[in-house]
Amino acid sequence: MATIQQLSTRHVLGIKYLTAADIELIFQTAEEFKEVINRPIKKVPSLRDITVANLFFENSTRTRISFELAEKRLSADVVNFSASSSSVKKGETLLDTVNNILSMKVDMVVMRHPAPGAHHFLSQHINANIVNAGDGTHEHPTQALLDAFSMREQLGDLAGKKIAIIGDILHSRVALSNIFCLLKIGAKVRVCGPPTLIPKYIKDLGVEVSYDIRDTLHWCDVANILRIQLERQELKFFPSLREYAQHFGVTKALLDELDHPIVIMHPGPINRGVEITSEVADSDHSIILQQVENGVAVRMAILYLLAATR
Amino acid sequence: MQRLFRAVKIMNPGSEWHGQTVDIRVTDGILAEIGSGLSLDGAEEIHLPKASVSTGWIDLEATGGDPGFEHREDIASLTKAAAAGGFTKVGLRPETQPVIHDKSGVSYLLQQSRFAPVDLLPIGAVSKNLAGAEITEMLDMRAAGAVAFSDGSHSIQHAGLLLRALLYAKTFDGLIMNQPQEATIAGKGQLHEGIVSTMLGMRGIPSLAEELMIERDLRLLEYTDSRLHLSHVSTANGVEKIREAKAQGLRVTASVAALNLLLTVKDVESFDSHCKVLPPLREESDRQALLEGLKDGTIDCISSNHTPLELETKHLEFAYADFGAATISTAFATARKGVGDFLTEEELIAKFTSGPRDIFQLESSSIAVGEYAQLTFYQYDKNWSVALQDIHSRSKNSPLIGTELSGCPLGILNGDQFVTSK
Repeated sequence: MATIQQLSTRHVLGIKYLTAADIELIFQTAEEFKEVINRPIKKVPSLRDITVANLFFENSTRTRISFELAEKRLSADVVNFSASSSSVKKGETLLDTVNNILSMKVDMVVMRHPAPGAHHFLSQHINANIVNAGDGTHEHPTQALLDAFSMREQLGDLAGKKIAIIGDILHSRVALSNIFCLLKIGAKVRVCGPPTLIPKYIKDLGVEVSYDIRDTLHWCDVANILRIQLERQELKFFPSLREYAQHFGVTKALLDELDHPIVIMHPGPINRGVEITSEVADSDHSIILQQVENGVAVRMAILYLLAATR
Repeated sequence: MQRLFRAVKIMNPGSEWHGQTVDIRVTDGILAEIGSGLSLDGAEEIHLPKASVSTGWIDLEATGGDPGFEHREDIASLTKAAAAGGFTKVGLRPETQPVIHDKSGVSYLLQQSRFAPVDLLPIGAVSKNLAGAEITEMLDMRAAGAVAFSDGSHSIQHAGLLLRALLYAKTFDGLIMNQPQEATIAGKGQLHEGIVSTMLGMRGIPSLAEELMIERDLRLLEYTDSRLHLSHVSTANGVEKIREAKAQGLRVTASVAALNLLLTVKDVESFDSHCKVLPPLREESDRQALLEGLKDGTIDCISSNHTPLELETKHLEFAYADFGAATISTAFATARKGVGDFLTEEELIAKFTSGPRDIFQLESSSIAVGEYAQLTFYQYDKNWSVALQDIHSRSKNSPLIGTELSGCPLGILNGDQFVTSK
């Protein structure tokens, strides 16, 4: 490893709380770990004797596995905890649950939780390093970092590059973290979707807003297409999936119109035939599976750098 | 019982002593003598350094806990906290369990508080069980001592219900109060909608939710020609609508919660659940409009909007915490700090005295010989920092711990009962 530089923070609660230098350091470190995980022997001893608890108060498959792989490849001891969000509301408070786990001498907590700011709340009360693996509709910083890392692999420096985030912006923690991250590293960002799924004040963050998918695809270098979060919609924000797919879905026909290269991304899980057709998801434009691979390297980098702040 | 208050500055525009620093003798709960250098004559002598005195402050709307939520607040703890906050009368919202929606509820509150140093003014519910469907027995409650009718923090969503309540209350020129927030627009909002809610990824409560209901309520008021109070207005446009309605001659009054005069949505950025209140803390531009509204009389009074909640409902992730803050002991100092010098001392004190008195149509009082002694002593310019023990409520859910405020109540005199604030 190169000489250790430190993050400016003990926790990764959100991209909001990272500096541009932190992001660059994470990228550089992730590049090195990406090389490591492509070796025949993928494991390094960097987190030996560090215990990481993965606390998932909300369902997750890929993020949980990605973190667990990252932790194991760094030789950390890993404990997993899953609970539905409702069990916490019914009985034990978040603080009690986490304190119980921490009394078993856990050094780092990777947590997904349905309440925005849950990690922030926790960071004021516990001593372990905290990594946000998604807090409601607030942030999902490791996803944003792996997205930007993947874009950088394709396009080089992202300063001035045009990135579109398409779909359900209102219910998406990925959108918010992506916006914060991309703006910090100098990219231009546009969000696109039906107006009912775009927060009224999102422009004030410094992004463009469009309701026109065709125009947006012509504009952008990268289209990061978000999942329609049916599970978070207590109201009908659009009339039907059929109409959504017809007017906001990314199709091969739309991509065929373009006169410039485009990178297609999706944080998963994909609703094939809704926000993106199978043809597009599986096309040469798509780097969806590279995103997943990079996820492990980026998460290794974050855990490694946080351990260095201990 | 005789007390002699030495060298207090009288702040009471209706009094011949207004603006003068004099001694006040109180005998058996009556203002017996006012003047300079009064002789002791066996009275208990009380020195309150740099004190001003006004008629007793009135808190238009606070929430208690008795019956049903005594772990949050009971009548003894509420009146103690109110006295520490300088209040001699407190309008009490009906949000208890059971709800104060009949004469026995009203009588219970009055009976339980009859020896307390602070007079409770029960506000009966507009709708049975606050369910927003059927109007309550307002005539009965009025006869039992209710001063007005409100569903408290449960904004009245049903336009027909409010219309009937406004009409029915005309029987006795009664007052209907509504805290405006349109529920289908507010949705599951957690804080004011704006750049902060966007950055925090939380659903916001648009200003529109308040504005729409204010517009609706004013139309209903115009139609019924009744009397309406809009509680805890928080938006700039809301203030403007009320200003226009007053100019038009509608019998509408309005109040603002003290916290909305000091804090803004910026204070929520750190996910501090103590700042989760209704109405939500809004933008600085809204705060400025509220100050303007106070200055020009659009907003008649400042209320504590006291909402005591146990630790277990606040010491949580922001989205799971309940709305509300325990504010009754700090309401005046919060308002004083928020207002700065934008209002004069006389103007600000009026928002705690004549303002709420006129809304509730209480008997006029002044600082004059022969009057019943209901007084609040305070220091107008004292700066102080809020500590946990300054929250005299049983519940300690205050966003102001550690905050520097200015203006400080020193004590109240209610007839023969003298209670100091600390």
